Amino acid sequence: MRDTFVLSNRIGKNYVVLSTFISTSIVFLILILLMINSWQVISLSDANLFSSEWAPYKNSFGILPMLYGTVIVTFISLFLAIPLGIATSIFTAEILPEKYRYIVKSVLELLAGIPSIIYGLIGIAFFSIWIQDFFQLQTGRTILTAGILLSIMILPTIITLSDDALRSVPKKYREASKGLGLYQYETIRFNLLPIAKSNIIGAVLLALGRALGETMAVMLVIGSIDEIASPFYNWLTPGQTVTSKLGREIAETSFGSVHFSALIFMGFILLSIVLVFTIIAQHYSKRTERLYE
Amino acid sequence: MSRKTKNTLFKSITCIAVITCFTILLFLFGVIFWNGIPAINLEFISSSSSNFGADGGILYQIIGSVLIVIVSALLSFPIAIGTAIFKSEYLKTPKWQKFSNILIFGLNGIPSVVFGIFGLILFVNILGFGISWFVGSIILGIMMLPTIILTSFQSINSIPTIYRESSLALGLNKWETITKVLLPQGFSGAITGLLIGLARAIGETAPIMFIATAFSGVNLPQGIREPVSTLPTHILALAQQATNPEALQNAWGTSLILIILVMLFSLSALFIRNRQQSLSQL
Amino acid sequence: MKHILTLIFLSFFLNCAQRETINVGGSTTVLPVISNAAESYKETNPNIRIIVNAGGSGVGINQVGEKKLDIGMISRGITEQEKAKYPAINFNPISIGKDAVVPVVSSEIYDAGITTLSLEQIGKIYSGEIRNWKTLGGPDREILCVDKEASRGTRHVFMAAVFGDKEAPAPGADLVLGSNNEEQTALVQSNSAIGMLSNAWLNDDVKGLTIQMPNGDTIEPTLANIINGTFPITRDLVIVTNGAPSGKVQTFVDYVLGEEGQKIVENAGYVRVK
Repeated sequence: MRDTFVLSNRIGKNYVVLSTFISTSIVFLILILLMINSWQVISLSDANLFSSEWAPYKNSFGILPMLYGTVIVTFISLFLAIPLGIATSIFTAEILPEKYRYIVKSVLELLAGIPSIIYGLIGIAFFSIWIQDFFQLQTGRTILTAGILLSIMILPTIITLSDDALRSVPKKYREASKGLGLYQYETIRFNLLPIAKSNIIGAVLLALGRALGETMAVMLVIGSIDEIASPFYNWLTPGQTVTSKLGREIAETSFGSVHFSALIFMGFILLSIVLVFTIIAQHYSKRTERLYE
Repeated sequence: MSRKTKNTLFKSITCIAVITCFTILLFLFGVIFWNGIPAINLEFISSSSSNFGADGGILYQIIGSVLIVIVSALLSFPIAIGTAIFKSEYLKTPKWQKFSNILIFGLNGIPSVVFGIFGLILFVNILGFGISWFVGSIILGIMMLPTIILTSFQSINSIPTIYRESSLALGLNKWETITKVLLPQGFSGAITGLLIGLARAIGETAPIMFIATAFSGVNLPQGIREPVSTLPTHILALAQQATNPEALQNAWGTSLILIILVMLFSLSALFIRNRQQSLSQL
Repeated sequence: MKHILTLIFLSFFLNCAQRETINVGGSTTVLPVISNAAESYKETNPNIRIIVNAGGSGVGINQVGEKKLDIGMISRGITEQEKAKYPAINFNPISIGKDAVVPVVSSEIYDAGITTLSLEQIGKIYSGEIRNWKTLGGPDREILCVDKEASRGTRHVFMAAVFGDKEAPAPGADLVLGSNNEEQTALVQSNSAIGMLSNAWLNDDVKGLTIQMPNGDTIEPTLANIINGTFPITRDLVIVTNGAPSGKVQTFVDYVLGEEGQKIVENAGYVRVK
């Protein structure tokens, strides 16, 4: 009897070790596979990887237009979502009475539940037409449209995580400020925000990672032109992001071709950037340490 | 500006921000419901699509979506629980905790389209599965892992040490302690994670669109190596014909059904989860 | 719960043997024909399942090459490169219908008087030399030049006719889109666009241009002109198999080439081959 218990102890341990091995090694597996499949185009001397011309028929695979699009779209989305998100989180965390907070937060989290393809549908059916009419454009499929759509998609991340960050500041700071006769504005601005800053930065970095990797909504509204806008700040023109390029083109290429390899290379670069930001975000968020308490 | 005006101004700005967010939220849900409800009737959810999805219903898209995510949950859940137990009960040095956290959060941060490429390279091409719903389930299962691991870990890890000590003192070995004492207590956390994972997975398009789905002619898959149709990829096909009124109407109808499925999963999760946490944390 | 799932799984595997599946994929131009033909074919042949996927001609050829598809749908020729890439595959193209690629403009432009253009003028728009409709006698409005993804059959045929090179770059393009549906949507949403569409996608909102030939003749994009071959940008709608089709694939191909199949070709807005 005792033996079977010992045995189950050993099997159990093997099971959890194996599970952990699987879940932690996938990141490496993905990185390695993308690296191997990018090698073909990296080793090609005349692929012009860091040029701005993407022309598979003459073996030119410049990824700059896609990188440009990704950077700009992400920038626009953060530019809009950070102030709006943080201001909202200040309201939900500090100004809103406690009893409504749970409801308001849950409702805002519903926003996060809308699948990105539905954002894409709304983008193509409404946003792109509004942008087209408002700016009197040839087409509403622009970099700006994608940026605005993306800002809405990352709002919930920023709001809920910043809200958590503010709430995790101990009560005594608020009481102390109150005792000093500070207004709520001053309490938040000079006491709470500096304390929560690190976690808020973590939240923004996490949102940044999501914005960089978002595919479907961007792909439907951005117009898919592999060009760097001229001048570069003219965001009312169509563009292309790494993700939209991958989404549109990967299925058209055949496995093992240089074209395929060039797309994988872009995927690899995107993945590396996102992983770096995720790790930095981890560093800023004190969430993990709280778990040990 | 006096301190008082500043304070009022500040409060009004946050107020405006909240109102803006709620307006956006109302607009999005309003659009989906307003356009979706007229498209939905019994026939829509019980018949197969035809004519590029502009006619007919979405029965097989619903079945395909549900099939893919249920199987992905079945694949993901045991591995996630195992990892959570290992992290909570066996892994004690903070250094390794941190390292495993980086890997799990890293996995969580990987863009969905990269998962699609990964599946395309490894399963569809190298392992030769071809385009199949089961490959989609594997990929979505991998994407769910971090969420389930983290929620399960939190709930198992938060069980007070005294439980483990008493159980060991009663003569139970470590594994018995885990299965008889810790798991029953931590189960609700794991289920919450599973539901959140399902809510996310069912709406995913990019990871499955080139590895698991087909455009038309699919009904019930007859093996694990066949493609299915899913709700998100159906919306994708319909969104591209956004000026065809029938197609657009069906796109809204499909979106509404998808949102309802997502809400079913996430509201159940909200219901079960600890009120202090945020879904977005995971 | 577990038992039910096991049962479902078992039934999948047991079912495998009973019904046969044909996998089809590729060009969105051929898609309506095959998709509709598959639907009606299945009514009389319930034991055959036909799974149809989109993706464009490039996908159709590549996946037949990789033996992932039984039938590839293509709306252009197979390039030498593609043949070279799959030396083991004996690509067997079968023509199932005829289509024209028509240069199209937004209805506002058409109504403003731009109804006829020469291939040279179209070429100048796509190369970026002409950027305003005023140059062509239309309203003073910038041209929204809509291009298609590089491997799309429609683009190959169009570029071959306009520039003499099916892979010609289009530096004047403002948008690059994929399927005929997506392109049509963009043309409808704009009031100053030019694009390329299969004849079957023309309607009141997207109007096909009459083409002026070098000798001064003008040729309208009508079915009659496509049938008699005078319209300059025509192509065959092709399905491609690896070697001559056999068994279940052959019966389906025969159906598409038969009277019922050809009626579907006609109803989809194309020209029948038989």
